[in-house]
Amino acid sequence: MNRNLVILLASFLVLVPLQILVFEHLALFDRGFCFVYVLVLLLLPIELSKIQGMLAAMIIGMLVDLFAGTLGIHAASSVFLMFVKPYWLQVVTPRNGFEVNTLPALSSYGLPWFLIYAMPLIILHAAAVFFLEAAGSGLFWITLSKVGLTALISLVFMVTIQYLFYPKGKS
Amino acid sequence: MRQLLVFLYKYRAFFTFLVLEVICIWLIVANNNYQKTVFINTASGLIGTINESSNELSDYLALSGVNRELAEENARLRAMLLNQGVLPDSLLQFDIDPDTTDSVQYILRTAEVIDNSTRLANNMFMIDKGSDHGIAPNMGIVNSLGVVGKVRSVSGRYARAISLLNTRNPISARHKNSNRYGTVQWDGSDPQIAKLLYITRDVPVAPGDSIVTSGFNAIFPKDLMIGVVSKVEPDPNQRDLDIEITLSVDFGALEHVYVIENQLRPEKDSLMLNDPLNF
Repeated sequence: MNRNLVILLASFLVLVPLQILVFEHLALFDRGFCFVYVLVLLLLPIELSKIQGMLAAMIIGMLVDLFAGTLGIHAASSVFLMFVKPYWLQVVTPRNGFEVNTLPALSSYGLPWFLIYAMPLIILHAAAVFFLEAAGSGLFWITLSKVGLTALISLVFMVTIQYLFYPKGKS
Repeated sequence: MRQLLVFLYKYRAFFTFLVLEVICIWLIVANNNYQKTVFINTASGLIGTINESSNELSDYLALSGVNRELAEENARLRAMLLNQGVLPDSLLQFDIDPDTTDSVQYILRTAEVIDNSTRLANNMFMIDKGSDHGIAPNMGIVNSLGVVGKVRSVSGRYARAISLLNTRNPISARHKNSNRYGTVQWDGSDPQIAKLLYITRDVPVAPGDSIVTSGFNAIFPKDLMIGVVSKVEPDPNQRDLDIEITLSVDFGALEHVYVIENQLRPEKDSLMLNDPLNF
């Protein structure tokens, strides 16, 4: 458990500043953003209760919001993500079930499982962010293209970061 | 009670979720201007629909009062017509200015008040005409008795307006006898009394004097009735007189109003805003 705590704390201390200072200012084709801080939320342990998870999401989302000048938008989306996550985890349970004291990370259950686990949650989060930002469905197709591109870029970055910097093997 | 608690505890995660999301959305609406505008416009459209249906009922109950008010207005207009000396006669010929775009400065649209408050410090009201009918923000609103307020935000079919009974809505006014200019501002207490500010002590103001609009801004035409002076005394702490006026409009029974569109407003504004001395 201690090892997991270190991984989570390190993720938080690196990814959130990275989001605030670097990824906040990147935009691919004016449409694709990268919400790399969502990885911290995705990695939060399965044993964590929903309420604890949502409070953590609120704090992290608020931190990102404060620096992006969009107070509330990332917080609302992150809370939404953490509310949906436990239900989705029940759906994508591996054949042998989740192992105790294991983070839902790429190294724990492999790349295919992580993609299936992360992709819908990232899409939901990005959709929440951009539809809140557009405040309605007025610019529906533009917003939808933003959601798709952003989710794809975020996922690529998350997978790459996990391959490069996270400890291999069962965590 | 116990079952309620059990229910709340069972779905505590969901309720926490709701509470957190409401906090977030409140933050978004309070801090982001674009989202705030969208929220206000959507909400005023929704609230307007509800208020309109509840207002249809109370309309019937107020009909006699409305009739009396309209009859009085008719009488007043007829008196003005008589005083002009020329009775409308079909045998007379009139010269009509051929360029009608120049001759019409103000367009009046009737509207109905469907939601109103007088008890708050910052009162707003809602009318049943919106951008579909040509209403735009910052148009003046009057009724047959005098100045009512001005439009603040519009949705398709409704508009929300800031009442004269609002401590943040000062209106440029004129003391009719002396032609001195001041500002009418409501102090937030009595819905029939407002203050007239910035009239210096040398002006002979007496109870019963009319206070009308100045016509300085492009919102209200000149000489619209605002109220009648009810009390004057020199303010011991100020350079100016402490004047209370009785408002001519009965805000508690607001029903039918006119929205004033000033056709020349863009022209007037363009001069005011591009003034090179006004840094």
